[in-house]
Amino acid sequence: MTNIALLDIKAHRDLCVETGVSARFGDAKRFVPVIVGEFVHVAAHYPILLSKDAETGGFFCGAMLGIDEDENLFLTEGQPFETYRPLSLQRGPFFTSGSDIAIDLDHPRVGGGQALFDVEGQPSLYLKSIMNLFRDLKPGLDQTRVFVETLLSLKLIEPIDISLAFDDGSRRRLEDLYTVNQEALNALPDDKVVELFRRGYLRAIYLMIASLKQLPMLAQKKNARLAR
Amino acid sequence: MVKPVSNVVIVGGGTAGWLTAGVIAARHQGRMKSGFTVTLIESPDIKIIGVGEGTWPTLRSTLEKMGVSETDLFRHCDAAFKQGARFARWTTGADDDGYYHPLMLPQGFHQVNLVPHWLEDGGSRSFCDSVTPQGALCDDGLAPKTIATPEYQAMANYAYHLDAGKFAPFLQKHCTEKLGVRHVLADVQGVKQAENGDIESLSLKQGGEIAGELFIDCTGFASLLLGKTLGVGFKSCSDILFCDTAMAVQVPYPTPDDAMASHTISTAHSAGWTWDIGLPTRRGVGYVYSSRHISDDEAADELMRYIGPQAKGLTPRKIPIRGGYRETFWKNNVVAVGLASGFLEPLESSAIVLVELSAKLIAEQMPANREVMDIVARRFNEVNHYRWGRIIDFLKLHYVLTQRPEKFWRDNTDPATVPDRLKDLLKLWKYQPPWFLEEFDRLEEVFPAASYQYVLYGMGFRTAVDGDDNDQTRSLARQQMQENAAMTQKMRKQLPKNRDLVRKIQEYGLQPI
Repeated sequence: MTNIALLDIKAHRDLCVETGVSARFGDAKRFVPVIVGEFVHVAAHYPILLSKDAETGGFFCGAMLGIDEDENLFLTEGQPFETYRPLSLQRGPFFTSGSDIAIDLDHPRVGGGQALFDVEGQPSLYLKSIMNLFRDLKPGLDQTRVFVETLLSLKLIEPIDISLAFDDGSRRRLEDLYTVNQEALNALPDDKVVELFRRGYLRAIYLMIASLKQLPMLAQKKNARLAR
Repeated sequence: MVKPVSNVVIVGGGTAGWLTAGVIAARHQGRMKSGFTVTLIESPDIKIIGVGEGTWPTLRSTLEKMGVSETDLFRHCDAAFKQGARFARWTTGADDDGYYHPLMLPQGFHQVNLVPHWLEDGGSRSFCDSVTPQGALCDDGLAPKTIATPEYQAMANYAYHLDAGKFAPFLQKHCTEKLGVRHVLADVQGVKQAENGDIESLSLKQGGEIAGELFIDCTGFASLLLGKTLGVGFKSCSDILFCDTAMAVQVPYPTPDDAMASHTISTAHSAGWTWDIGLPTRRGVGYVYSSRHISDDEAADELMRYIGPQAKGLTPRKIPIRGGYRETFWKNNVVAVGLASGFLEPLESSAIVLVELSAKLIAEQMPANREVMDIVARRFNEVNHYRWGRIIDFLKLHYVLTQRPEKFWRDNTDPATVPDRLKDLLKLWKYQPPWFLEEFDRLEEVFPAASYQYVLYGMGFRTAVDGDDNDQTRSLARQQMQENAAMTQKMRKQLPKNRDLVRKIQEYGLQPI
C-alpha cells in the first residue's frame, strides 16, 4: 500500500529516511526504469532494455539488475552498493506532485536514518540531494518517453529472446524484453539518422546496443550465486 | 489485345462493401500507381443494415493486412472481445444445460485427437474444459490478452463484438484516406450491358457514368447487379433452417461498470434462439425465430422475459430474414459479396467471415483480363457453394441433437429437414469422431473439425470408442490434457477482466509490437 503526502515542514519536521541499500528497503528489483540522461552511467554496469508497463502496456527503458523476480545481483546485504544506482532507486520514497515533493509514508525506508530537515527547519543535505535528483529525473522521464515513442514510430524496437543455461543445470527464459532492432536502424534513411543524431538519440541508441554486452556478465553473476 | 481488369467497381457502402474494397485495395496497392482503381458507389439515402455484431478471428488478420490499427477499432467501433459462444438450453432446455463453442483449438489438436481419450475417461467432465482453457476464461469474464500483448496478437484466440453501424464508416475512412479507394456518393439509376450480358457501366441518378471491368454487388438484400440485373435466382434454405424473423433490441447496462461477457450468449427458446452480445456501452440482444411456430407478440414477450428488468421501456425492432443464397455468386463480370450473395441466421456469426473470405478470394484471384475471368468465376462459385453448404450443415447440427419438446425443435429433428451430407456425417461420427478426416480437407474451411467436436460433445453426442485403438496415443493425450489444466490455471491468474482491458485499450492503446 502507499500513503502519499506532500512533504510539509510542519508535519514531517522529524521524519527520517533510510538511505542504505537493502532488500528490505525495496532495492531487490530485477528491472528498474532508467532515463536517457543516465544511460551513460547505466550502460557501464547493466544491460539497458525495454519492457512494457503492466498497467498501461506502454514501453519504458530499464536497467536489468537480476535474472529472477525480485533479484538484484548487485546487492549484497550489509555492504555498500558499488555500482551506479539508477535514479529510480535513489529516489527512495519520494515522488513529485507538480513542483512539490511528496513522500510515501508507508515506504519501508521511512522511519529511521537521515533527517529531512535540520534543527533550524531547513531542508537537510539529504533532502537537498533528493530535490536535485528530481531536477534531473522529472524532465528526464518526459524526455525518455519521447525517446521511446520515437523508437516505436521508426519501428526500431524488437523483442529480444534471452535464454540462459547455468552450471547447476537450471535454465531461464526471459520474456517481455525488447531492444533496438539494429537492422532497422541501419536501414534508416539519412534524414532520420541526422534527426536522431541531433536530438541526442543516436548516442542513447548506441549505449543501449553496447549495454547488451553486460548480459553475459549478469548471467555470470547469477551463475556464481547459484553455485554458492 | 484483351482488355485488362484494372477498374473494380463496388456498389454498396455497408460492411460488405467497405471490407471488400479494403481487402482488394490493400492487396493491389502496388498496381495503383499504374492505374488500377477501386471505386465504391454508395447511395446517400439507403441505410445500411449493419448485420452481425459478432465476428470470427479471421477479422484480425483481415484488418491487419488492411493496415487498420486495432486500438482504433476499439476506440471507434465500440468493440469488445469475443472468445466464442455459449449455447444455453439447446440440449434439454434445463437451467444448467449449456456448452461452449470456443475459438481456441483443443490442446495439441494437430498432434492428437483428444475426443476418444476424453470419452474413454468417461466423458463426464465437459469436453471443452478438458481440452481448452477458453470456457473457463469466459466463465470468469476474462479478456483473451493483456494490455502488454501487441495489437492483433492473442493469448487466447479471439474475435470481436462490435457496433456494425460504426464499423462501416470506420472502414470507409480507412479505405478512402489510407488505401486510395474512390468513394462516390450516388444512386445507381441504370446499368449498361454488353451483348454478352457483361456490365459495362453504371449511370448515376446524380449524373455521370462509372465504367469498370469487374463489378462487385454489395447492395444487400436488393442484390441490384447479380439478382436484379443478371437475373440470378435465390436458393432458399428454409426447408433446413426454419428461422425467418429476428427481433432485436439494444439493452443498456445497469451501471457502466457492469461485467461484460467476452463471449456471445446464445440461448434456445420455444421457437428459436436469442443472441446476447456485450459491447462496452450496451448489450445487443435479439430473438431469431420461426414465424410458423410462434407469433410476433409471443416472440416479443419471450424476448423481454429473457432480458428481464432491463427490458423496461425498450421496443424491439422486427427484421424479416430470408435464409439462403444465390444460385451463382459470380456471373459474367459481376460477383456478389455479403447479403447480396445470401444470408443465414447469425447463429455462428458467419456473415462477416464470409465477406472476408470472398473478398480475399477475389483479391487473390483477381482475373488479369476478361478472357480468364470465367475460369476464376467458376472456381469462385465452386468454393462458395461448398462453403455455404458447409455452413448450413454446421448450423443445422446445432438443432438436430436437441431433446427439447417444443414443436419447433421436434420439427428440426425431422430427418427430412437434415441435409444428406450431415446425415452421413452423423452416422460416421457414431464410430469415428471428427478430426482431420476427408471431410475437412479444404483450405480455409469456415468451421474446422474442432468446431464440430465442441458442438457434438457439448450437446451430449457420443462416439463409440475402442480402447485398444487409443493405446498408441494415450500418453500423448494425457500429457495434452495435463498441459491444458496447467495452462487454464495460469491464464485464469494472468488475464484481466474483459471490461477492464477494453477500458485500458481505449485509454492507453495497444502496442504495435
